[in-house]
Amino acid sequence: MNEDEEQALATHEQELRRGTVVFASLVACRQPQYGYSLLTTLTEAGIATEANTLYPLLRRLEKQGLLSAEWNTEQARPRKYYNVTTSGADVAAALHSQWLELNTSITKLWKEGTP
Amino acid sequence: MSALTDIYVDTVIGHLPEKSRDDIAAEIKATINDMVEDRLGDGSPSTDSQTAAAEREVLEELGDPVLLSREYTNSPQHLIGPNSYPLFIWSLRWVLPAVAALSVLTNVIVHIGSTPQVQLGALLGQTIGSTITALLTAFAAITILIGLGDRNKDGGAAEKLPGSKSEPWRVDDLHRKDVRGSQIRAEAILNLIFLVLLALIPLIPTSLVYVGHLNNGETFINPDLGSGWLLGYWGFLALMAVIEVIKLARSSTSAVLIITGVVLDVAMAVFLTIALLTQQVLHPDLTSASSAEVQQIITVIAIWAIVIWDQISTWRAHRANR
Repeated sequence: MNEDEEQALATHEQELRRGTVVFASLVACRQPQYGYSLLTTLTEAGIATEANTLYPLLRRLEKQGLLSAEWNTEQARPRKYYNVTTSGADVAAALHSQWLELNTSITKLWKEGTP
Repeated sequence: MSALTDIYVDTVIGHLPEKSRDDIAAEIKATINDMVEDRLGDGSPSTDSQTAAAEREVLEELGDPVLLSREYTNSPQHLIGPNSYPLFIWSLRWVLPAVAALSVLTNVIVHIGSTPQVQLGALLGQTIGSTITALLTAFAAITILIGLGDRNKDGGAAEKLPGSKSEPWRVDDLHRKDVRGSQIRAEAILNLIFLVLLALIPLIPTSLVYVGHLNNGETFINPDLGSGWLLGYWGFLALMAVIEVIKLARSSTSAVLIITGVVLDVAMAVFLTIALLTQQVLHPDLTSASSAEVQQIITVIAIWAIVIWDQISTWRAHRANR
């Protein structure tokens, strides 16, 4: 793969992952998560995410009512915990269905196009 | 937590809304602490230099605080976005020629009125200089106005979630989301503003454009001009305004409206030509006897140039949108 191809691939991968991070965050936040725990959860799950993208995203999802957030000050270090809301869970379920449909479609297309 | 982290966090929240600053600052600080702690591990106590090195790594991983701040604000990082670009181009295409024509006309009239012996070089110099200034000002005003309007349009674009449920498309959506309809409404509103400005011309005192000394601050128009001419002028403008109001209400135009508009434009030009060639339309103090005829001819040529340009633009826009 030459340099141009690598650059094009990086751009398309970034676009592909952008929506994935939203979906993955909603799924992961079915259990209460604070920012860094979510970041490590996603990374360990193989969904590489940058902190400077994730935190603003969590805030937007909170504004949209898909996540609820609460500060926990009982621990030694105060942390903001995110939890998926009912509408967030509905959106996550819908995204999951879409994901499965896309996977089926792409697999079918891939098989049909393979000589 | 070192001063370095404090500076970083202050830079991030510096451009954020006041009400969200404390919350975001606390979250970023907690994150930085978690990340530093993770790097140092759970083993033996770390030295200050190890902590400082880990902190630097973490801040560098978080990246430019200005970019992080932009991620939080989610505001568009452009002046004119794709939603506003068609309106921007349309405004430039229509407003700039109109400004140029008005500027040339005003400068020619004022120069001839205020100069005992008109010299072509001086006339051209003043007219071109003032017209360039007027065009640059109009360009800046359009850009700033549409740029400010754009702030409220694109901010939410990134918040749309992929795969979220949307209403199924219906033919009625054509009316709701018809870009052409929006453009026609915008054109109609601008044309109405333009018509109001034209209607005010007979009432504008010369002192408003700093040449009040030429006729003691009276209007550009001859005060002794028969009221019938003025009523006729305003009558034509009122009919033109009616057409624009119909376009605005319908968010569409039609061949009948376009033809009526063309007929009205030409009739108005004929009316103004007759008025200029048979009456002393401009204030007598703005017209020297020697150059009165030249002034009239230039004004008539400018009027017909505007009318012809307007018809060509209308015809081209109609063809483009068929």
